[in-house]
Amino acid sequence: MTRRTFRAMGTDIELLVDADAATDELDAAEAEFERLEAILSRFRPESELSRLNRDGAIEASADLARVVELAVAARERTAGRFDPTVHDALVAAGYDRSFEEVEDDDAPAPPAAPAGGGVLVDGHRIELAPGVRLDLGGIGKGYAAERAAELLALAGDCLVSAGGDVAVRGGSWPVGVETADGTLTLELTRGGLATSGRDRRRWRRGGREIHHLIDPRTGEPAETDLLRVTVVCSDAVEAEVVAKELFFAGSSAAAGSDVPGVLVTRDGRTLLTGALA
Amino acid sequence: MANHTARLYAVALALVVFFVGWAAIAARPWAPTAAADPRLQALNVRAALLKQRAAFISQVTALRAKQPAAAAASPAVRVVNLPPLTVTRTS
Repeated sequence: MTRRTFRAMGTDIELLVDADAATDELDAAEAEFERLEAILSRFRPESELSRLNRDGAIEASADLARVVELAVAARERTAGRFDPTVHDALVAAGYDRSFEEVEDDDAPAPPAAPAGGGVLVDGHRIELAPGVRLDLGGIGKGYAAERAAELLALAGDCLVSAGGDVAVRGGSWPVGVETADGTLTLELTRGGLATSGRDRRRWRRGGREIHHLIDPRTGEPAETDLLRVTVVCSDAVEAEVVAKELFFAGSSAAAGSDVPGVLVTRDGRTLLTGALA
Repeated sequence: MANHTARLYAVALALVVFFVGWAAIAARPWAPTAAADPRLQALNVRAALLKQRAAFISQVTALRAKQPAAAAASPAVRVVNLPPLTVTRTS
């Protein structure tokens, strides 16, 4: 078993591969994260996403076009519970730079900026309605984890973890999930896993605590009784979308989901859903 | 007569020796081999990298094609009593 860790996309990346020598494949997987971050980051002024947000329309690379396409499809599938157009709401909430640089601020937060603007993807051409800007933070990490796992799988069975987004190829992988009172181990043999929560990326603005999970319908950090949601789906991209959808839905609705998942509520309960219940 | 023929052969041989010598000197075998064009070298390196990348992509594509669609569509997960190899965190 070989393990490599590094920082990319504002989080800790972990590559695990069931092989003794896999330097080339590990290098390729690490380079893939760097390549995709250079395209998908909204914090790099020269990234393709920043250019799209500035210009409103571009001929995009295959990767950006694909991620935007996946995000728009997820918006339709979740009836707007997942929405990549929350960029301005995140900026209004103070998340306008890499999270390590976000600071508490006593000034009141500006009015909320609801999401939902028009996004058109036609082949490699992407067009945004006037005033619409995209954030692909979560779904971009899931996409990068899947792409890196494809490259790493050339060396053997593997797992790629990008913060809360996990992609696997072959083998069986015990993955720890933080619960209300410890760690639950899930054995993942196929698919992807994602965790979304309000427990890490949070800060204070105008005297109140704010977190990064913006409810697209209000443009405000989501008010929900859930602290953290982990789900397992067909891949890390889908898991990222479903985790956010269940988080916004709250524990009562999320508990009835048939998706395998672990819900941790703010009052300290742990609920299992789908095949894990 | 014999002298005349011998003289002709000698002249012809001298001419051959002269031109062979000229060609040998013109080829400048003592001069160092000229350095290859750096742009050509860069192109060769780029071509080799692209070939390597193409082979890599072919492998990835073949691996992707081997995964059955049904397997990709349904995740497989269960709770186990094992120490985790990694712990997932809020992204």
